[in-house]
Amino acid sequence: MQFTVERLPDYAEVNGVGKLNMVAAPKLREVVADVVAHGSNHVVVNMAGTDFMDSSGLGALIGCLKLARQAGGDLRIANVQPQVQMVLELTSMHRVLTPYQSVEAAFSNG
Amino acid sequence: MPEPQSTRRAVIVEDNDDIRGLLVQIVSGQGFETVEAATGSEGLDLVRAGGADLITLDLNLPDMDGIEVCRRVREFSDAYLLMITARADELHRLEGLETGADDYISKPFSPRELAARITALFRRPRTQPAAVVPGEDEQRRAAEVQRSLLPSEPLLLDGYEIGGNCRPARSVGGDFFDWYPTPDGLQLTLADAMGKGMGAALIAATVRAVLRSSAGQADLDAAFRGAGRELERDLEQSGSFATVFHARLDARRARLDYVDAGHGLGLYLAGGNVSRLPSGGPPVGALPGSTWRSHSVELAPGEGVLVASDGLLDAFGSVPEAIAAVREAAAQEATAQGACDAVLRLAGTDAAADDVTAVMVRRTADGPAPA
Repeated sequence: MQFTVERLPDYAEVNGVGKLNMVAAPKLREVVADVVAHGSNHVVVNMAGTDFMDSSGLGALIGCLKLARQAGGDLRIANVQPQVQMVLELTSMHRVLTPYQSVEAAFSNG
Repeated sequence: MPEPQSTRRAVIVEDNDDIRGLLVQIVSGQGFETVEAATGSEGLDLVRAGGADLITLDLNLPDMDGIEVCRRVREFSDAYLLMITARADELHRLEGLETGADDYISKPFSPRELAARITALFRRPRTQPAAVVPGEDEQRRAAEVQRSLLPSEPLLLDGYEIGGNCRPARSVGGDFFDWYPTPDGLQLTLADAMGKGMGAALIAATVRAVLRSSAGQADLDAAFRGAGRELERDLEQSGSFATVFHARLDARRARLDYVDAGHGLGLYLAGGNVSRLPSGGPPVGALPGSTWRSHSVELAPGEGVLVASDGLLDAFGSVPEAIAAVREAAAQEATAQGACDAVLRLAGTDAAADDVTAVMVRRTADGPAPA
């Protein structure tokens, strides 16, 4: 899985393309840890290109969420694909990692 | 005739008075000085206090598992250890396990056979433990240990039947199911630890142990909350979590109280219909400080609850499709065990796939009404 990061004035956008699984999970943690360490504690993970996520991938998202919150910010997800949506709902994690319709909408309410 | 050696001491650990008496008689006849214990802890005390050259150990003891007694004995004693099981099929399972026992024999045994086994044991030189265990061997043993943690015996409960099956994607996995009798009926768990392989298996074993130890607490919500707090600490350390479906059946009231912690695949099967049981909160360890809400479902004759792990979903495009397939498969099966086996078949046998597990409790349609 390939990650790209774009720093915007109000948040950093992390893009992941591919499968968010056991292999990709540690990479996502690294990328987000780096983003937070460089001062962006508001993070949006754009999941438009993430067509699959397993429990390890979900674990990574949760870990990144904790990281952002510990830094006084938050992590939100956008453009969630059907399989990822299913995993979130099955685990009741959609109440905490609420999918947003777009990257822009994620922090539009503050 | 065996050589009589007056100094040899045997510890007989057996809870059944008659069988213990018989063992004492046979072992004494072999020239041993014998001492007896009816429980595992008494047996351990005797070995600790007076040492032992031979230990006969019943697998099913009232206070602890014989395998556990065996493990503890091996921490301080290299006595020859003969494990005695009540069932021949357990024998097969045990022989594959690294329990620390030197030999196994199943009941009923003949005095002659037992005497011969003991003689053979003492002919064997005490072997040194293997110094280095290669990785593959370790994996195999881990898989055996994990399998041994699954319920090995059917649970018999009037008016109900229960079944379960588990297939890890690798030699070990993060899925497990567990059941055991309680004064009111039974307690049932299916859990799926994050990830696959050895790391997930270690977490699964922890979840199993903590939930088992919560069984004594009368209130399910309080018991689960306590177990959740306990597990969060461990899971937080490893950055992991586990989805858990944990239930208690009150057999007389035909009521299943359950907590679904982010599991989402508890299915209520009633007269050809299927519905998903509501979740009570996030997975254990995902969000420290979480609370979970228990729910209840009443089981009419013929109705049941089947819980699957998410490995099932890999073979389907969506949750509704998977659930419909489970409903159809379960309807073809006469027993809970048959239904669980069918669910595993639905998941396919792709080696690269996730662990897959199913467990089911069903109130029998025509059996006696719950007492």
